[in-house]
Amino acid sequence: MLSMDVILVTILAAGALSIIGIVVGLILLGIDRRISARMQARIGPPLRQPFIDLKKLLSKENIIPENAIPSLFNAAPIVALASSIVVLLYLPIGSMMPILGGYGDLILVMYLLAVPALAMVAGGFASGSPYATVGAQREMVSMIAYELPLASIVIAVAWLLYSSGIADPFALSSIVANPIWSLVGPIGMVGLFVLLLTFAWVSPAELSKIPFDTPEAETELAGGVLVEYSGKNLGLFTIAQGVKTLVMGGLAVAIFFPWNLSPLLGLAGYAALAVDAVFFFAKVILLMILSVTVIRTGLARFRITHVVTLFWVWFGVAGLFGLSLVILDSVLAGWF
Amino acid sequence: MSDGTPTKKAPYVVPIGPIHPALKEPVQFLFEMEGEVVKKADFAPGQTHRGIEWMGMHRNPVQIVHLTDRICGICGVTHSLAFARAVEQIVDIEVPARADYIRVIIAELERIQSHLLWAGVAAHELGFDTLFYLAWRVREESMDVIEYITGNRINYGLVQVGGVRRDIVPDQHPTIKKCLDGYRDLLGKMLNLFLNDTTISIRCKDTGLLTFEKALELSCVGPTARASGVVKDVRVDYPYSAYGDLDISPILPSAYGGGINGDVYDRIVVRLLEVAQSVEIIETCLKEMPDGPILWESKLPKLLSACKKAHGEAVGRHEAPRGECLHYVAMDGHEAPAMWKVKASSYSNLHSWIPMLEGEQLADVPIIVASIDPCLSCTDRVAVLRGVKRDLMTKEDLHRLSVEKTRRIQGC
Amino acid sequence: MALPMIREILAQVFKIPATNPFPARFLPPSVTEFLKKVGAGEATINPPVATPPRFRGKIVYDRDGCIGCNLCIRVCPAHAIEFIPETKRVRIYVTQCIFCSQCNDICPKGVLTMSPEFLLGTEDRFAESQIVE
Repeated sequence: MLSMDVILVTILAAGALSIIGIVVGLILLGIDRRISARMQARIGPPLRQPFIDLKKLLSKENIIPENAIPSLFNAAPIVALASSIVVLLYLPIGSMMPILGGYGDLILVMYLLAVPALAMVAGGFASGSPYATVGAQREMVSMIAYELPLASIVIAVAWLLYSSGIADPFALSSIVANPIWSLVGPIGMVGLFVLLLTFAWVSPAELSKIPFDTPEAETELAGGVLVEYSGKNLGLFTIAQGVKTLVMGGLAVAIFFPWNLSPLLGLAGYAALAVDAVFFFAKVILLMILSVTVIRTGLARFRITHVVTLFWVWFGVAGLFGLSLVILDSVLAGWF
Repeated sequence: MSDGTPTKKAPYVVPIGPIHPALKEPVQFLFEMEGEVVKKADFAPGQTHRGIEWMGMHRNPVQIVHLTDRICGICGVTHSLAFARAVEQIVDIEVPARADYIRVIIAELERIQSHLLWAGVAAHELGFDTLFYLAWRVREESMDVIEYITGNRINYGLVQVGGVRRDIVPDQHPTIKKCLDGYRDLLGKMLNLFLNDTTISIRCKDTGLLTFEKALELSCVGPTARASGVVKDVRVDYPYSAYGDLDISPILPSAYGGGINGDVYDRIVVRLLEVAQSVEIIETCLKEMPDGPILWESKLPKLLSACKKAHGEAVGRHEAPRGECLHYVAMDGHEAPAMWKVKASSYSNLHSWIPMLEGEQLADVPIIVASIDPCLSCTDRVAVLRGVKRDLMTKEDLHRLSVEKTRRIQGC
Repeated sequence: MALPMIREILAQVFKIPATNPFPARFLPPSVTEFLKKVGAGEATINPPVATPPRFRGKIVYDRDGCIGCNLCIRVCPAHAIEFIPETKRVRIYVTQCIFCSQCNDICPKGVLTMSPEFLLGTEDRFAESQIVE
């Protein structure tokens, strides 16, 4: 059905976006390290430090432990990276609509977001190290934990779009086209704000950052799921981490801050695309600093039991509360 | 299980150490885990024995006093002070009063830097690197003052048998006072950051409990014992140097307002409040320091010959930042002591790990291990090797070996 | 939930970092080349932190004033001082020295002193810079 041209353009665009995604993701890691260092009164590494690290990691050999299952052990980083990049292709970058937008929606993105974590779990179990096993168990538990608040956010957004009579409420393109803040009244605003805060706390968990880095916990598990990884495999995980950071930021931007600069500046065509893309990345960086860097620098690590309680009880309730406010708002809007 | 035995998950073993990010010095832990919970804990020290006592028994006291600086990387003055006090008792040396005050000042400065270092390590074990950087940053102030007084940052080389080697002159007072004032201002902030932070208190409260009875039973010392409510402080119970002239009392966690639980949180409280106590002590000492000489005998050859003539044995005690440190020295009219035994403070505290760790979560192992401020290089006195296999020595084995060695030395 | 650290770190972002800067801003491709350039005045380095007064660094030995009394050898905890009978002078191995400066205290002629020099690292423990005589 699709013409050759469309497929070719899609592949080219996907390739280009993957490379941009990897580069921006690594820059994001660099910014995170730099800002975090400044918060701790250190000078911090140069912004290109993740690239230097990556270059070194990729030039080193993979060490596969004797107890490991080599196939699974080696596949895990590739799956993690591939799935993070695929999520990126489903995200709208500024005014550019998602490349794979026609083939999936927010639900699929949610599933894909779980894949890198699952890959890490598989890789951890395949490492054959007690630290990695404990880390993998914790990764599974925390994955289950933060899914609930994340799901309530997605449902709230979809409900909002659906109740406003917008077709295809789960598609990211329609979410971006209709900024959710414009669809609600004051009560819904409060609800959305609660959901935004919830999302800000889910992001560090999704990215396994302090205080939710129990699966990797350096001081207790010596790196946990990643303990046996070295060389190229660790490099791939690093890239995946960068892309995932970008994806989480991009998702937050798409859901909560989808506005673009080009209509304001009166631009069109490629100029608009470029300006919006830059604006998009700026928004992502700002959001990541606020939700990842500040939280990871200002808190101590939680126990895994705390992570579960926090997400199931506190943020679970917060998510559901936000969701009910949004629903209440749209019901009230229907009445009056 | 179907055969009637109580169902339980098979415990699995998690080894931590000898080299592990949670441990700042080598020691090996073996944990039998059920899920995330530690069911059974065991540890094996002796991974970093350096034979420093053996080195000392081939040297004269004036040489050893600087060797003792190197027993611990953090307690630069603790061991030299305890050793010097033991030798002074044997040789019957009267330490000049001014030297006693300078010794107290440097010992308390060391307590400040050691407790702040510990605070940083504890924060790091909790995954709170920001607080770790902050604590170590403010620690630098005391390191600078120590450097200013003694000349070097770590191995001070200040204590000499019979006194101290460097005086604190009035010109130096403003710099020291500035540092002390800085700490006084800072204390409120440090207490707030450590004790009011929810993420720290949920990890530290009711974690690593050591009851009063257990602490007594295991003869814990220092802040570990005091956090469990044991009123024990060599500076008060057995005053030495200038401590007898000072009005100090052991700090218990109840001083912060709460009760005494004997958990990790209480150990943080005790150590932070002791920083404040040390600031006050230094201030008082600077004010009340008498004039006079700082050495019993400034001519080293005379000191050496006095030591050579001495016979007898003595125990030198000092309240190190980690608790009581003890040096036993026996001299028999030779250059080198006949016997020199070091009991570092951590030696008394290590066994409190077992009751603290059992029943706790794996996630809390690092902070519990760190909470007694272990100093393993100071503690390790024995490493037993048979070929490549490592034997565990029981009390009976050790006793048999010591009897054999005594017989060998006495030649019968 | 009380998180006092958040305020602290947000304030800290706008303050000057406390770390001492490295000698060079970024690691140069070749350290020796860089140092050569610094020596020639083409590049600048961040100077090291000043040593405190009465710092005990590398030992300095005034050979001519020495009377060969051997007292320093008796108090050296590290056995870093060796007596050379032919010349009746001592030789000090800096790699073994523990910088206690006890030899300075005991020396009747005051020919041993401590300099503030502390950058002594080398891979050869018998290098010329590591032996004072």
